[in-house]
Amino acid sequence: MLAVVHFRHGGIPMAPAILSVIAFLALVVWRFVFAGMHRWPLVRPIAPWQHRRNDILQEGLHISDPGDVAVVAGNVFENSSGSLDPIDRRDPAIVFLRRVVALTGATEMGEEYVLNVGATRFHVRNGYIRRLRDAADPKRGYEETCFYPVHNGMPKAEEIATALLQLANNPALFDKWALKNGQAVKADGQLFSRAE
Amino acid sequence: MNAKILTFSSDGDKTLLEYDPATADMEEVNEMIAEYEAQTGAQPFDMATGERIEKVTRDQNEVLMVHPIAGG
Repeated sequence: MLAVVHFRHGGIPMAPAILSVIAFLALVVWRFVFAGMHRWPLVRPIAPWQHRRNDILQEGLHISDPGDVAVVAGNVFENSSGSLDPIDRRDPAIVFLRRVVALTGATEMGEEYVLNVGATRFHVRNGYIRRLRDAADPKRGYEETCFYPVHNGMPKAEEIATALLQLANNPALFDKWALKNGQAVKADGQLFSRAE
Repeated sequence: MNAKILTFSSDGDKTLLEYDPATADMEEVNEMIAEYEAQTGAQPFDMATGERIEKVTRDQNEVLMVHPIAGG
Protein backbone atom coordinates (compact mmCIF):
# COMPACT_ATOMS: atom_id res chain seq x y z
CA MET A 1 0.00 0.00 0.00
CA LEU A 2 2.81 2.45 0.89
CA ALA A 3 4.76 1.58 -2.29
CA VAL A 4 1.89 2.80 -4.50
CA VAL A 5 1.84 6.17 -2.72
CA HIS A 6 5.57 6.64 -3.26
CA PHE A 7 5.48 6.45 -7.08
CA ARG A 8 2.59 8.82 -7.65
CA HIS A 9 3.18 12.55 -8.13
CA GLY A 10 0.74 15.42 -7.85
CA GLY A 11 -1.70 16.71 -5.26
CA ILE A 12 -4.75 14.57 -5.94
CA PRO A 13 -3.33 11.13 -5.14
CA MET A 14 -2.04 12.38 -1.76
CA ALA A 15 -5.46 12.15 -0.15
CA PRO A 16 -5.79 8.39 -0.71
CA ALA A 17 -2.16 8.04 0.35
CA ILE A 18 -2.80 9.80 3.65
CA LEU A 19 -5.93 7.74 4.15
CA SER A 20 -3.93 4.61 3.49
CA VAL A 21 -1.29 5.58 6.03
CA ILE A 22 -3.98 6.39 8.60
CA ALA A 23 -5.69 3.07 7.90
CA PHE A 24 -2.39 1.24 8.26
CA LEU A 25 -1.60 2.97 11.55
CA ALA A 26 -5.12 2.22 12.81
CA LEU A 27 -4.62 -1.40 11.89
CA VAL A 28 -1.34 -1.53 13.80
CA VAL A 29 -2.92 0.11 16.88
CA TRP A 30 -5.96 -2.18 16.67
CA ARG A 31 -3.75 -5.25 16.51
CA PHE A 32 -1.73 -4.26 19.57
CA VAL A 33 -4.75 -3.27 21.66
CA PHE A 34 -6.96 -6.26 20.84
CA ALA A 35 -4.19 -8.82 20.80
CA GLY A 36 -3.18 -7.58 24.25
CA MET A 37 -6.76 -7.82 25.55
CA HIS A 38 -7.00 -11.42 24.37
CA ARG A 39 -3.77 -12.45 25.99
CA TRP A 40 -4.51 -11.26 29.54
CA PRO A 41 -7.40 -13.61 30.35
CA LEU A 42 -5.15 -16.57 29.50
CA VAL A 43 -2.56 -15.49 32.01
CA ARG A 44 -4.89 -15.05 34.96
CA PRO A 45 -6.18 -18.61 35.48
CA ILE A 46 -2.68 -20.03 35.23
CA ALA A 47 -1.19 -17.82 37.93
CA PRO A 48 -3.24 -19.13 40.91
CA TRP A 49 -2.65 -22.75 39.83
CA GLN A 50 1.07 -22.11 39.59
CA HIS A 51 1.01 -20.52 43.03
CA ARG A 52 -0.99 -23.42 44.51
CA ARG A 53 1.27 -25.97 42.85
CA ASN A 54 4.32 -24.35 44.40
CA ASP A 55 2.63 -24.39 47.82
CA ILE A 56 1.86 -28.10 47.53
CA LEU A 57 5.37 -28.91 46.44
CA GLN A 58 7.07 -26.86 49.09
CA GLU A 59 4.80 -28.10 51.87
CA GLY A 60 4.97 -31.76 50.88
CA LEU A 61 8.62 -31.99 50.00
CA HIS A 62 9.76 -29.89 52.91
CA ILE A 63 8.40 -32.44 55.36
CA SER A 64 9.05 -35.62 53.46
CA ASP A 65 12.59 -35.15 52.31
CA PRO A 66 14.84 -32.33 53.48
CA GLY A 67 17.19 -33.10 50.62
CA ASP A 68 14.59 -31.85 48.16
CA VAL A 69 14.14 -28.47 49.78
CA ALA A 70 17.20 -26.95 48.20
CA VAL A 71 16.01 -28.18 44.82
CA VAL A 72 12.58 -26.65 45.31
CA ALA A 73 14.09 -23.34 46.34
CA GLY A 74 16.19 -23.28 43.21
CA ASN A 75 13.73 -24.50 40.61
CA VAL A 76 10.41 -26.16 41.30
CA PHE A 77 10.33 -27.75 37.87
CA GLU A 78 13.70 -29.40 38.13
CA ASN A 79 13.63 -33.17 38.43
CA SER A 80 16.49 -34.21 40.65
CA SER A 81 14.99 -36.35 43.41
CA GLY A 82 15.16 -39.92 42.20
CA SER A 83 11.95 -41.40 40.83
CA LEU A 84 9.70 -38.41 41.54
CA ASP A 85 9.11 -36.89 38.12
CA PRO A 86 7.46 -33.49 37.51
CA ILE A 87 4.00 -35.07 37.11
CA ASP A 88 4.37 -36.87 40.44
CA ARG A 89 5.30 -33.61 42.13
CA ARG A 90 1.90 -32.17 41.15
CA ASP A 91 0.06 -35.19 42.51
CA PRO A 92 -0.98 -34.58 46.13
CA ALA A 93 -1.41 -38.34 46.70
CA ILE A 94 2.24 -38.99 45.79
CA VAL A 95 3.37 -36.10 47.95
CA PHE A 96 1.34 -37.46 50.86
CA LEU A 97 2.73 -40.97 50.35
CA ARG A 98 6.25 -39.56 50.56
CA ARG A 99 5.38 -37.88 53.84
CA VAL A 100 4.04 -41.16 55.25
CA VAL A 101 7.11 -43.05 54.01
CA ALA A 102 9.31 -40.57 55.88
CA LEU A 103 7.12 -40.70 59.02
CA THR A 104 7.11 -44.50 59.21
CA GLY A 105 10.77 -44.93 58.28
CA ALA A 106 9.83 -47.05 55.28
CA THR A 107 12.07 -47.19 52.22
CA GLU A 108 11.08 -47.27 48.59
CA MET A 109 12.47 -50.18 46.61
CA GLY A 110 11.29 -50.16 43.02
CA GLU A 111 7.51 -50.50 43.09
CA GLU A 112 7.29 -51.55 46.72
CA TYR A 113 7.88 -50.03 50.13
CA VAL A 114 9.83 -51.86 52.82
CA LEU A 115 8.69 -51.25 56.37
CA ASN A 116 10.44 -52.58 59.46
CA VAL A 117 8.37 -52.73 62.64
CA GLY A 118 10.48 -54.18 65.42
CA ALA A 119 11.83 -57.46 64.08
CA THR A 120 9.11 -57.76 61.45
CA ARG A 121 9.62 -56.68 57.87
CA PHE A 122 6.78 -55.88 55.48
CA HIS A 123 6.91 -55.30 51.75
CA VAL A 124 3.95 -53.15 50.69
CA ARG A 125 3.03 -52.65 47.07
CA ASN A 126 -0.07 -51.89 45.09
CA GLY A 127 -2.79 -54.14 46.59
CA TYR A 128 -0.44 -56.65 48.27
CA ILE A 129 1.56 -56.94 51.47
CA ARG A 130 4.24 -59.52 52.19
CA ARG A 131 5.51 -60.28 55.68
CA LEU A 132 8.91 -61.93 55.81
CA ARG A 133 9.11 -64.88 58.19
CA ASP A 134 12.60 -63.77 59.15
CA ALA A 135 13.71 -60.24 58.34
CA ALA A 136 17.34 -61.29 58.77
CA ASP A 137 16.96 -64.19 56.35
CA PRO A 138 14.64 -63.46 53.39
CA LYS A 139 15.21 -67.02 52.10
CA ARG A 140 12.99 -68.38 54.88
CA GLY A 141 9.96 -67.26 52.92
CA TYR A 142 7.04 -64.95 53.47
CA GLU A 143 3.29 -64.69 53.95
CA GLU A 144 1.24 -62.53 51.67
CA THR A 145 -2.19 -60.94 51.73
CA CYS A 146 -4.00 -58.65 49.39
CA PHE A 147 -5.45 -55.46 50.85
CA TYR A 148 -7.79 -52.67 49.86
CA PRO A 149 -9.14 -49.68 51.77
CA VAL A 150 -12.89 -49.82 52.22
CA HIS A 151 -13.10 -46.21 51.08
CA ASN A 152 -13.58 -46.43 47.31
CA GLY A 153 -11.81 -44.29 44.76
CA MET A 154 -8.69 -43.60 46.78
CA PRO A 155 -5.53 -43.14 44.66
CA LYS A 156 -3.12 -46.10 44.77
CA ALA A 157 -0.46 -43.98 46.45
CA GLU A 158 -2.85 -43.23 49.32
CA GLU A 159 -3.86 -46.88 49.62
CA ILE A 160 -0.20 -47.71 50.20
CA ALA A 161 0.14 -44.78 52.62
CA THR A 162 -2.89 -46.06 54.55
CA ALA A 163 -1.39 -49.54 54.88
CA LEU A 164 2.04 -48.20 55.91
CA LEU A 165 0.57 -45.96 58.62
CA GLN A 166 -1.56 -48.74 60.05
CA LEU A 167 1.15 -51.42 59.97
CA ALA A 168 3.70 -49.09 61.56
CA ASN A 169 1.30 -48.59 64.48
CA ASN A 170 -0.07 -52.10 64.72
CA PRO A 171 1.83 -54.85 62.84
CA ALA A 172 -0.68 -57.45 64.09
CA LEU A 173 -3.19 -55.96 61.64
CA PHE A 174 -1.52 -58.05 58.94
CA ASP A 175 -2.98 -61.23 60.48
CA LYS A 176 -6.45 -59.70 60.70
CA TRP A 177 -6.37 -58.61 57.08
CA ALA A 178 -5.19 -62.07 56.02
CA LEU A 179 -7.69 -64.01 58.15
CA LYS A 180 -10.80 -61.79 58.08
CA ASN A 181 -11.33 -62.25 54.40
CA GLY A 182 -13.06 -59.20 52.93
CA GLN A 183 -14.01 -57.70 56.29
CA ALA A 184 -13.07 -54.10 57.02
CA VAL A 185 -10.67 -53.73 59.94
CA LYS A 186 -10.16 -50.39 61.65
CA ALA A 187 -6.70 -49.13 62.61
CA ASP A 188 -7.26 -50.26 66.21
CA GLY A 189 -7.94 -53.83 65.03
CA GLN A 190 -11.72 -53.72 65.53
CA LEU A 191 -13.97 -54.91 62.73
CA PHE A 192 -16.04 -52.25 61.03
CA SER A 193 -19.41 -52.59 59.44
CA ARG A 194 -21.61 -49.89 57.98
CA ALA A 195 -24.34 -50.77 60.46
CA GLU A 196 -22.06 -49.73 63.32
CA MET B 1 -1.76 -21.34 62.33
CA ASN B 2 -4.97 -23.30 61.88
CA ALA B 3 -5.21 -26.99 62.63
CA LYS B 4 -6.69 -29.40 60.08
CA ILE B 5 -8.49 -32.71 60.11
CA LEU B 6 -7.80 -34.43 56.78
CA THR B 7 -8.69 -37.61 55.03
CA PHE B 8 -7.72 -39.29 51.79
CA SER B 9 -10.12 -38.92 48.89
CA SER B 10 -10.20 -39.64 45.20
CA ASP B 11 -8.45 -36.29 44.60
CA GLY B 12 -5.73 -36.75 47.21
CA ASP B 13 -6.04 -35.40 50.70
CA LYS B 14 -9.22 -33.53 51.60
CA THR B 15 -9.77 -31.18 54.53
CA LEU B 16 -12.74 -32.24 56.66
CA LEU B 17 -12.35 -29.55 59.31
CA GLU B 18 -10.14 -26.54 59.87
CA TYR B 19 -10.02 -24.71 63.20
CA ASP B 20 -7.93 -22.48 65.41
CA PRO B 21 -6.50 -24.81 68.09
CA ALA B 22 -6.08 -21.91 70.52
CA THR B 23 -9.76 -21.09 70.64
CA ALA B 24 -11.63 -24.11 69.25
CA ASP B 25 -13.92 -26.19 71.42
CA MET B 26 -11.93 -29.46 71.37
CA GLU B 27 -14.89 -31.42 72.66
CA GLU B 28 -16.77 -30.37 69.56
CA VAL B 29 -13.80 -31.31 67.34
CA ASN B 30 -13.62 -34.77 68.93
CA GLU B 31 -17.36 -35.23 68.60
CA MET B 32 -17.08 -34.52 64.90
CA ILE B 33 -14.23 -37.05 64.64
CA ALA B 34 -16.27 -39.67 66.51
CA GLU B 35 -19.19 -39.08 64.18
CA TYR B 36 -16.96 -39.44 61.13
CA GLU B 37 -15.49 -42.66 62.56
CA ALA B 38 -18.95 -44.06 63.17
CA GLN B 39 -19.88 -43.38 59.55
CA THR B 40 -16.68 -44.48 57.83
CA GLY B 41 -14.58 -46.46 60.32
CA ALA B 42 -11.71 -43.99 59.85
CA GLN B 43 -9.55 -43.30 62.91
CA PRO B 44 -7.32 -40.30 63.67
CA PHE B 45 -3.54 -40.28 63.20
CA ASP B 46 -1.23 -37.44 64.20
CA MET B 47 0.65 -36.46 61.05
CA ALA B 48 3.52 -35.01 63.07
CA THR B 49 4.38 -38.41 64.57
CA GLY B 50 2.51 -40.90 62.38
CA GLU B 51 0.84 -42.38 65.48
CA ARG B 52 -2.79 -43.24 65.98
CA ILE B 53 -4.42 -41.07 68.62
CA GLU B 54 -7.50 -41.61 70.76
CA LYS B 55 -8.40 -37.93 71.12
CA VAL B 56 -7.30 -34.82 69.31
CA THR B 57 -5.73 -32.16 71.55
CA ARG B 58 -4.64 -28.58 70.92
CA ASP B 59 -1.10 -29.86 70.31
CA GLN B 60 -2.03 -31.57 67.05
CA ASN B 61 -1.96 -29.34 64.00
CA GLU B 62 -2.63 -31.96 61.36
CA VAL B 63 -4.71 -35.07 61.91
CA LEU B 64 -5.36 -37.66 59.21
CA MET B 65 -8.48 -39.81 59.39
CA VAL B 66 -7.27 -43.23 58.19
CA HIS B 67 -9.87 -45.53 56.67
CA PRO B 68 -10.27 -49.26 57.44
CA ILE B 69 -8.57 -51.86 55.29
CA ALA B 70 -9.92 -55.21 54.18
CA GLY B 71 -7.76 -58.10 53.06
CA GLY B 72 -7.93 -61.72 52.14
